[in-house]
Amino acid sequence: MRRLWQGVGLMLLCACAAAQEVWPVPDWQRADNALNWQALDDYAFPTLAASGRAGVRSDALLVIRDGRILYERYRAPTRATTPHLTWSVSKSVLATLLGVAYGQQRFQLADPALRYYPALHQHPDVRLIDLLHWASGLDWQEDYEYAPLNSSVVAMLYTRGRQDMAGYTAARPAAVAPGTRFLYSSGDSNLLAAALRGMLADQDAGDYARRALFDPLGIRSAVWERDGAGTLVGSSYLYLSARDLARIGLLLLRDGRWQDQQLLPKGWVSFNRTPFAPAQAAAAPGEPIAGGHWWLNQPAAGRARPWPDAPADTYAALGHWGQALYVVPSERLLIVRYGDDRDTSYSHNALLARVLAVLAEEAR
Amino acid sequence: MKRWLRFAALLLVGGAGLWVWSARQALHDFPDILPAYSAKEYCSCRFVMGFDAAYCRRYVEQYLPLASLEEDTARQSVSAQGLGRRQQAAVQGAGEGCRLLP
Repeated sequence: MRRLWQGVGLMLLCACAAAQEVWPVPDWQRADNALNWQALDDYAFPTLAASGRAGVRSDALLVIRDGRILYERYRAPTRATTPHLTWSVSKSVLATLLGVAYGQQRFQLADPALRYYPALHQHPDVRLIDLLHWASGLDWQEDYEYAPLNSSVVAMLYTRGRQDMAGYTAARPAAVAPGTRFLYSSGDSNLLAAALRGMLADQDAGDYARRALFDPLGIRSAVWERDGAGTLVGSSYLYLSARDLARIGLLLLRDGRWQDQQLLPKGWVSFNRTPFAPAQAAAAPGEPIAGGHWWLNQPAAGRARPWPDAPADTYAALGHWGQALYVVPSERLLIVRYGDDRDTSYSHNALLARVLAVLAEEAR
Repeated sequence: MKRWLRFAALLLVGGAGLWVWSARQALHDFPDILPAYSAKEYCSCRFVMGFDAAYCRRYVEQYLPLASLEEDTARQSVSAQGLGRRQQAAVQGAGEGCRLLP
């Protein structure tokens, strides 16, 4: 009889521990809630004119708290299973993949990138940490459709650089010393992708992302396109379903741990979330600050936070046309937002404010 | 007055010439951007994201019109023509999506 009670007690204990931490294994669970999401719906999914591309054009919006889905909505033709283009969200996922490699002790942050990517021989002082801070010091023009003639990123993706994007970047002249200036550059991200490839044996490089990161997280929708040289387009071309991108978010939210496996070493996520001082010094008002290949809701000196309605610990992976993964540790909150914004109507702060208002209402 | 005008015109033409020379590489590449962008992003829209052809045509539409945009559905390849240049993109393999062809 006593043994029976002990057994029951043990079972209850296990049940409690499981209730404390919910994982999307095998799939995401939904939270029971009767929250009023009207204000969020109105903002993210306004009634749009059938023609034209003006306004906030969300394709997907997913809100997850404590590992459970609170809100999920898609705009056709995007669906829950659509691997959606993430654009520059890819960069932060690349950094997460590098975090796994870091945990496998394949590199140190202060290593010269040249060690893993010999084509950087003209820039021997560029370190991996500089690339992660977008501070290679290489001359670069990051602009999409507004200045295509002189845009380095357009040349890299579509013309001169597309056969070998890291090679194209490595051939750029140095503008300033590495590590001294923040200059957002898709080229720096593709140098990281090439360096990662250089850390791996040839036969492992091809499916490293899948084996090291996507499979352990149960991510099935991923497509990561490559350049002509076969290197991942780490800057731009990762496709994931919203639910799968949220898995990356949950890994970060739980400090690099997935269930009982520490996939990212302790300290890696802290590095991602530490502001890069020259970026903080140079930030324009309202712009998030670069950390280690993630974007932080940290103020520049003497200024308001870039997203004033969101907690200071909010950080994000952000991409062209309104792609975003927001992580808010103090709220145990993840938001994935995909869009097709062709103007500047969409505001990170406006979206975050509306989600947080619903949660505040719930807490009342 | 006339001499002054001639001088200004000469300066303008000379400046334009210098700019063209300094931007010659970018100017040479420029016509490729539109068809390359269209072929690549249309290919991914169709065969990676899995959207329908009509949606993907609108998705890649730019201010400058294309001369043609054709897909080979069975081979999962796309050919785009515009500004006098032609570019192709095609699916490379499972999990690898599309890539511009050389």
